[in-house]
Amino acid sequence: MPGLLDFVEVTPETLCKQRHLGAAAMIEIVPGQVERARKICEALPMVVHGVELSIGSAQGWNGAYLEMLDKFQVRWPFLWHSEHLGFQTIPDEDGATVETGVPLPLSPTTEAVQVVAGRSAAIRERYGVPFLLENPAHYLLDLPADPEIGDDIGLMRAIIERSGCFQLLDLHNVYCNAVNHHFDPFAAIDRMPLDRVFEIHVAGGSWRGGFLMDAHDGRVPDAVWELLEYTLPRAPKVAGVVFEMLEEHALRLGFRTIEQELRRAGEIWRRYRLG
Amino acid sequence: MPLLDFQTALGRLVRVPAGGDPLRGLDLDLRERSHLAVLADSAGFRFTMDVQRSWCIGRAAKAARLTLSMLPMEERERLLNEWVDAGRGTTSFFVAEADVFFDFIAEHLPEPSHLLTICRLEQGTLRASEGAHHFKTPDLVRLAGADCVLRQGRHATLVRFYSEPRILFAGLTGEKTLPPISPVPMQMLFGPGVTGLFREAQPNELALWERLARPVPLTALLREGHGREVIEELFLTGIAECLE
Repeated sequence: MPGLLDFVEVTPETLCKQRHLGAAAMIEIVPGQVERARKICEALPMVVHGVELSIGSAQGWNGAYLEMLDKFQVRWPFLWHSEHLGFQTIPDEDGATVETGVPLPLSPTTEAVQVVAGRSAAIRERYGVPFLLENPAHYLLDLPADPEIGDDIGLMRAIIERSGCFQLLDLHNVYCNAVNHHFDPFAAIDRMPLDRVFEIHVAGGSWRGGFLMDAHDGRVPDAVWELLEYTLPRAPKVAGVVFEMLEEHALRLGFRTIEQELRRAGEIWRRYRLG
Repeated sequence: MPLLDFQTALGRLVRVPAGGDPLRGLDLDLRERSHLAVLADSAGFRFTMDVQRSWCIGRAAKAARLTLSMLPMEERERLLNEWVDAGRGTTSFFVAEADVFFDFIAEHLPEPSHLLTICRLEQGTLRASEGAHHFKTPDLVRLAGADCVLRQGRHATLVRFYSEPRILFAGLTGEKTLPPISPVPMQMLFGPGVTGLFREAQPNELALWERLARPVPLTALLREGHGREVIEELFLTGIAECLE
């Protein structure tokens, strides 16, 4: 897609496999995969968007992911990297780590802030590039909360303040939460640390079981484009906008549709950033 | 409520489909249990469970795409549901679970059958190709040790075809009708060091393969009459390996 893309976002785990050595699980880059991906991306700048770190797990994050990312950075340096603010591992009854099968939201508590802020600061140090946390979409209300943190936005704010990391503002996630939990997404964005937003995601979703899902399976809704137009002039550090779509939906959506979404994102970007 | 306790409770509640007490062993007071009970009874939580389940099913379905595509829809759904009910399908690296999933599917397939052949074929291809990423031809010196014990290679599989494979594939793609089950199977060995990952097995290799279902000392194999050259050939291609 010449001219449509200014940079690419890569999830390194998609180029990896898990290997067990005794009780320890390792994440290994499949030989040849990084080279193939680099060839496809040509000389475009690249940023990393991880999914396996489980940065909010009280039991411990996924050290194997970071060990893989160390090697990945040597082979394909990235401008910045991001992870999802949540957790996906818990201890089983014997204390061994098991996966929840789906990412779950963090409760907005001071303990959660301490856990994630400390880890985020360590990651910044480790990789020497900006580290971003993505606000998740979720369907749970009334998580245990400390009043001084308040809610999801307070949680993100407090982590960013303590760690020096940035936010990856996923506007479709904001939109899904706003629809499912009945709040005004513009008012929510006004409360976010917009001066620390470094990247924005837009995506499409679908309805299921009475909830709007962050399914990455379709076109970006107009409401999300409106949120992008609202946010960009208010978030001065944003370095890029990414259209997210799961590969299994690419054929159904078709090249023309994907091209249109990328062009629209590019037009909005240029209007507010370049001109 | 401490973060670890809350996450453990929430994670267990999401993972456990029915029955049992997911909060067992957690140090939660009455108020905390009540809070969790309200949360677990919410529409949002039930939807989270639905999403979790569909993701787990999706991962398993990706792991055995070919085999599952051959099964009648009801049977496919039944196996996937049974698999996820057992708490599987949670890992993003679904290939890591795939080998066990193939064994699980195989247990539910008639033997002999073309379906079982396809299941083992997909498993054998996956195993051998995964192993090939790291495979280095082993040094025969390892077979020189007096205490050498051999077993089937972890990335090796024997696949029995109950018809000529091309005829079977033509039947599976709908180009022709499925061939009848032959009483004499064509047997293929898959291994990470085999050129093209598979080849037809020779009778003396089959005998050795069957014998290696459990670890056997090399000295015992030689004593039983298995040829050293056959042992070496399977060893060099990863179809057999030394017990570490």
